[in-house]
Amino acid sequence: MITLQAALAGALIGGLYALMAAGVSVTWGVLRIINLAHFGMILLSAYLTFQLVTSWGMDPILTLVVTVPGMFVLGGAIQWAYDRLGISELNSLLLSFGLLILMVQAVSIVWSADFQRMHESANPYATGSVTVGGLVFPITTLLAFGFAVSLIAGAHVALQRTFLGRALRACAEDPAVAAAFGIDHRRIGTLLGAAAGATAAVAGMLFALANALTPASAFEWFGTVFAVVILGGIGHLVGTLAAGVLVGMVSGVVSVVLSPAAAPFVLFSAIVLALLLRPQGLFATRGAA
Amino acid sequence: MTGRSTESPRAMRTSARDRAGGLRYAVAFVLAIAALATLSLYRETMGFPMFYLVLLTTMLFWVTQATSWNILSGYSGYFSFGQAAYVGVGAYTTAVLYGRHQINFYLTLVVSAALCAVLALAVGALAFRLRSLRGEIFALLTLAVPFILAALARIRPEIDGGQGVVVPIPPFPAELGRFQDFLYLINLLVAGAAVAVAFGMQQSRAGWALAAIRDAEDVAEGLGVATFRYKLQALVTSGVIGGVGGSVFALQIGFVAVESVFNLTIPLFVIVMSVLGGRSHWFGPVIGVAFIVLLQDRLTASGLGDWQLIALGVVLAGLVIIAPDGLYARLRARPVPVLATFALVTAALWIPDLPAEPLDAILAGMLAATAVALWRPRRRGAVPQTRAAETSAAVTDADAGTPAVTAADASAVARPSDAAKPATPATEPGEVLVECRGVARYFGGVRALEDVTLTIREGELVGLVGPNGSGKTTLVGLLSGNLRPTRGSIRVAGHEITGLPPHRVAHVGVARTYQIPRPFASMTVRDNVAMAIMFGRSPEPLAAARRDAQRHLEVVGLDALADVYPSALNLHQRQLLEMARALATDPKLLLLDEALAGLNPAEIDNAVEVLRRIHRSGVTIVIVEHLLRVVNQLATRIIVLDRGTCLADGDPRAVMSDPAVIQAYLGKRAHA
Repeated sequence: MITLQAALAGALIGGLYALMAAGVSVTWGVLRIINLAHFGMILLSAYLTFQLVTSWGMDPILTLVVTVPGMFVLGGAIQWAYDRLGISELNSLLLSFGLLILMVQAVSIVWSADFQRMHESANPYATGSVTVGGLVFPITTLLAFGFAVSLIAGAHVALQRTFLGRALRACAEDPAVAAAFGIDHRRIGTLLGAAAGATAAVAGMLFALANALTPASAFEWFGTVFAVVILGGIGHLVGTLAAGVLVGMVSGVVSVVLSPAAAPFVLFSAIVLALLLRPQGLFATRGAA
Repeated sequence: MTGRSTESPRAMRTSARDRAGGLRYAVAFVLAIAALATLSLYRETMGFPMFYLVLLTTMLFWVTQATSWNILSGYSGYFSFGQAAYVGVGAYTTAVLYGRHQINFYLTLVVSAALCAVLALAVGALAFRLRSLRGEIFALLTLAVPFILAALARIRPEIDGGQGVVVPIPPFPAELGRFQDFLYLINLLVAGAAVAVAFGMQQSRAGWALAAIRDAEDVAEGLGVATFRYKLQALVTSGVIGGVGGSVFALQIGFVAVESVFNLTIPLFVIVMSVLGGRSHWFGPVIGVAFIVLLQDRLTASGLGDWQLIALGVVLAGLVIIAPDGLYARLRARPVPVLATFALVTAALWIPDLPAEPLDAILAGMLAATAVALWRPRRRGAVPQTRAAETSAAVTDADAGTPAVTAADASAVARPSDAAKPATPATEPGEVLVECRGVARYFGGVRALEDVTLTIREGELVGLVGPNGSGKTTLVGLLSGNLRPTRGSIRVAGHEITGLPPHRVAHVGVARTYQIPRPFASMTVRDNVAMAIMFGRSPEPLAAARRDAQRHLEVVGLDALADVYPSALNLHQRQLLEMARALATDPKLLLLDEALAGLNPAEIDNAVEVLRRIHRSGVTIVIVEHLLRVVNQLATRIIVLDRGTCLADGDPRAVMSDPAVIQAYLGKRAHA
């Protein structure tokens, strides 16, 4: 029963990993940019949510009105800059590493390196939970999972069905040919970067709902989120969601059965194995979706 | 991109002078180490403040780590985010064995080195076996390793268990002075050894192999470079250096905890330092370390500790944009103004003897020098041309003793030949060279080749033609070992090559060119060819290879451009370079995959002439080509592939009038 509880709770938290990973995965798969600054945007959004809730008493979910447009613009701007500078895939890793450090350090100068948490009186979702047949689900994880599933599913449908989505996939296949057919790579890239930024805003809000914040969180996400990106298949949204749930479940179960300290060991060993056996991702069939 | 750029002017030196150059480096190196050692040994006599010694010790630690990183990631281009794994394994080895079990400290250094070598070997053996391994996947793989090790250390009480391990001060000769002196000297020793190894490696065959891997890995493999071995060698060397450095680090911090040694800032620092200094050269990391550690120290001293990481982030991001090749390359390009700026600014701030800290003066000097190094007037490409002209003249003189090819050419050209007829081969078809039996290759469900059986004899010039998607390039890939057949056997010169890695196939005597030329961008045209000689079927040392490269460049007519970089060549010249490079491996069989695609008629005529010359020198050639005019002119035999099977095979005129062939090419009605 405890194991089942841990597995389900882990799966729900996995939704949040998947949401964090989705932005990284799509910009990597489609634009060939490994954007570590994405973690910085998530962190920044989490702190903004915290600040808006704490000083203005806004409803945490309502803060999206501020953070989503903000990160949309920031994400777009960063992507535009990458494109203007003609950054290669490997250099994007370095450049965005630099940006990430900058953002993390800026956050720690503004908000200090100490743990901070939204006050419970201001956060109506913090303590609630839903009980189904003896299994307890905190509202925060349900929210995280719900947001993640709807956003990722929405993005997937958008990529598959809309003209813009098809244009994006065309760019991912072959930017030069896509350009020959009149697709403006730069404009589309900027838009995609911006959309990834918007998901970072939502992920940051969801993280702030349930967790105490510290600037170092950004580095803690690093490992897990990349695990999800790679397991899911780079640029593969549905795979990312499945991988997120899987990774969450494994972490949850290992934490309960062995010990919380063992979770990263099992997780990363699994990732190494997965990388070696299926470098294209567990759930990827082919191409970007 | 750069390291090699500093080498090209040396192309003409003889090996004796190379050795003299090596000696000069060795003397300079020993002097530098001795000077640095003096700072500690005669610290009190010289009145050298302890504070500076501590700072230098920190620098030396980072020199070791950055050099370790650079040997793998800088030289071969495989980025690692896992430097903390070596530091952690080294530090914990010493902490547990020496700190907890009182085993001799110096012995633990050896154990650290061994453990890190095993770790590196394991990672490399797994990762580098992957055929589809991409640089980014390797980077993320290495990112995961420290996480695993950190978790392991945290769980196992024999290692850490969560409380950390105290490392006491080991016994050391009292003459050395205080513990800090000892720490400094041992760091100096390790860092000095690391830099020496990096230097030696860059100068050696391994250095050239790694540079070629960085530029175009599968091309290097195809030319005979045992890429797997060299990558593994770099990885293990990097691990040993990083591990010993980690052991010494355990002494330096005195208390080893998971958070302090498996820390993400370690790879961060190492990467920033190497990128800043220049990652393709052994000296790059040293410059980067001096700069970054000094910057960090000054920021902390002025109460701006919070801005340390911000500064690092800005430096990293800025450099990737402005100077991805690093400061060292810029320094080499214009040493005088840069060093002069450094000296002037430092002296100007130091001499007035204000209460100002000398380190501030040095940092200011460095910043000014960096600005000068990075500022570059906008003019490019003018220099190499003139140099090319004079050096090629020099080489023709030097090579007067070996006129073999030119003479052969002259006689061949003198011989009357009818261009419309297929060229008569210099040697009549002889022994069987290639034997394919029942060869099939599938890609998933796609049958690219099905049951192909054919033989090619020595001295033939075979045209391989067929419609798009008929399997021509697949067959070339199979013959060169780039692809493995799904079924069947391929023998070249009596050796079964199915299952051999491409570099072994190259050593059997197969060379190929690529449809899209892929030169080694960081090497001159001459060195591109010399590379192929160094690692080819009859390998030669660098100096001899550079000399002999000239001969191959003459065959294709690129000798006047020997000292430019491939980026200055046009498509035709690049394709000729591909051919020269393939020839330089001393092949029996040369595979040309659409070597004439995209050329204009005049260039095609030139290329055809070059191919004739190569063929006459006794090399068997298989040429994949769409231009039937060319194939008809050149080939002694034509093989037509259609949808993965052999449609026709034989004399060019007979094959080209075969109804089945016409139908495959032009469709049914055209035939009727």
